[in-house]
Amino acid sequence: MNPITAIVQRNLLNYIRSKGRVFGALFMSMFMLVMFSFLMKSAMSGLDAPMPYLISGVIIMSVFQVSVNNSSDILTDISSGYMKEVLVAPIPRTQISMGHILSGAVIATLQGIVTMICGIVLGLRVGVLQILLLAAVMLVSAMTFSAVGLFLATVSRNSPAFQTISSMIMMPLTFVSGAYIPTTMIPGFLLPIVYLNPLTYTTSIFRYIALGAHTLGTKELIEQGMAFLIGGFVITPLMGLAITLLIGAFFFVLCVRKFDRADFSTIKVATGMRGGGAAARR
Amino acid sequence: MNPIIQVEHFSKRYGDFTAVDDISFTVDEGSIFAFLGPNGAGKSTTINTLCTILDKTEGTLTINGHDVSRDRSLVRKDIGIVFQDSTLDAQMTVEENLKYHCAFYKVPKNEVQERITFALDLVELTQWRRAALGSLSGGMKRRAEIARGLVHDPKVLFLDEPTSGLDPQTRANVWEYIQRLQKQKNMTIFLTTHYMDEAEVCSRVVIMDHGKIVAHDTPENLKHQYTGTEVDVVCIQTEPLESALQERDIPYRKAENKLMFHTKKASAALDILSAHRGEIMDFEVKNGTLNEVFLAITGKEIRQ
Repeated sequence: MNPITAIVQRNLLNYIRSKGRVFGALFMSMFMLVMFSFLMKSAMSGLDAPMPYLISGVIIMSVFQVSVNNSSDILTDISSGYMKEVLVAPIPRTQISMGHILSGAVIATLQGIVTMICGIVLGLRVGVLQILLLAAVMLVSAMTFSAVGLFLATVSRNSPAFQTISSMIMMPLTFVSGAYIPTTMIPGFLLPIVYLNPLTYTTSIFRYIALGAHTLGTKELIEQGMAFLIGGFVITPLMGLAITLLIGAFFFVLCVRKFDRADFSTIKVATGMRGGGAAARR
Repeated sequence: MNPIIQVEHFSKRYGDFTAVDDISFTVDEGSIFAFLGPNGAGKSTTINTLCTILDKTEGTLTINGHDVSRDRSLVRKDIGIVFQDSTLDAQMTVEENLKYHCAFYKVPKNEVQERITFALDLVELTQWRRAALGSLSGGMKRRAEIARGLVHDPKVLFLDEPTSGLDPQTRANVWEYIQRLQKQKNMTIFLTTHYMDEAEVCSRVVIMDHGKIVAHDTPENLKHQYTGTEVDVVCIQTEPLESALQERDIPYRKAENKLMFHTKKASAALDILSAHRGEIMDFEVKNGTLNEVFLAITGKEIRQ
């Protein structure tokens, strides 16, 4: 078994074994879907298909949130000491990062697919090819967000700090991504943030496929908030996918560097570095 | 024997604090090597640096010819580690913990089952193979951790305080496993401990205090050098033996009909005892312990 496969398998196994987490996560994504779809419906007037528009936004946001939150698994590994077992093993640090990113992404994608099925029940109309494409986009985005989450987790090092940092970043970015509120309705002074927000582009490519918007021209895409005109330059949904990938690669490199240079002496289980940590407690 | 671990002028500083101060030593292949010293002596810092977890400040450290700072992944392949605190995954079973460990160390697929069986047999955990790790007792977890540390057949097994926090019986068992392992696999075992009696079975002992090596030898040599032998003799008549001791300039203490004196080696007492066997009712010869060695070298008891 390849080390990446081993890490993914082990993480998925632990995830499935904590039944409360599986149940809670599924409940949350359905709850979000129903709540947002109905509450925000009135805000969507002026769009061709308000419900599918919203549902697609909610699905990709749930993928985003689940993948960032799942990255906190590594904090459990750090505090239980298991991280040390992985770090002293002869596994290239790229593979350690990849294993953790992949496992988080697989969980997030599976949850996204469940949410998508609920969305179809609620009125999202997609064909088989679209479903496959959407799943692929979910996986790619989930990997990017897992990389971001993993980096945040290794920087914050403990659970409360991670919770604070991640919600501080996630909440605002979610609301200026166009997922819940169309970017066309966001006040002008916030637009720079919208354009700097990577979630904006992830949402645009996901929605582009979900709504089958390839038939629309550039002008209509811009009007619907799926393409963006920034300083005379048009960012198409496909470019959105490329941007998502780029951000993922960037954070992947950061994670690898973090694992490579981690100051392991401050990892909790290394309290023995000045001798007899276990003995000192007696 | 070839040295498998070589440490030259190794120092580790944290800001102003010097944890390890310019130490050098070698460990022979296939030996049991012990690092002794009180808490804070720099034992774990040294072991963690050898295990590629900490970076050195100065010096050269090599394992099996690979530099621990430069060729980290080569070093990691050659070593197995049992840390002071548990690094097992409590949610997985004993077998799963070992299985993923094998994957991390690229143990050939067709050997995995066999090796896991062997390792669990050695530490007598076979019947707990499928038990969730979190449900095991402290001693069993320790044994599971030792089994995992050796399942990939490392050249050097590091054990950082392998018996700390264990009850005396489990401690004795763990020691039995360690010695069995060294014999069966001719593995080099590098351990740290602050239990002096445990180090008696090691081939070589390094005593550390305040980041420095204060003694480096076999347990026997250390005891000869620093402690000597205590002889207690219960006499029928004390006078003849007393005069014999005075003749030889050996200081003694007397309590009723009992004489107590020290000699360099147990054999040195033999002459006196055999010359006076008629006057002797009973006698006892006590060898020095490493605890006394430590006391003699550092002037203090080992802090526990």
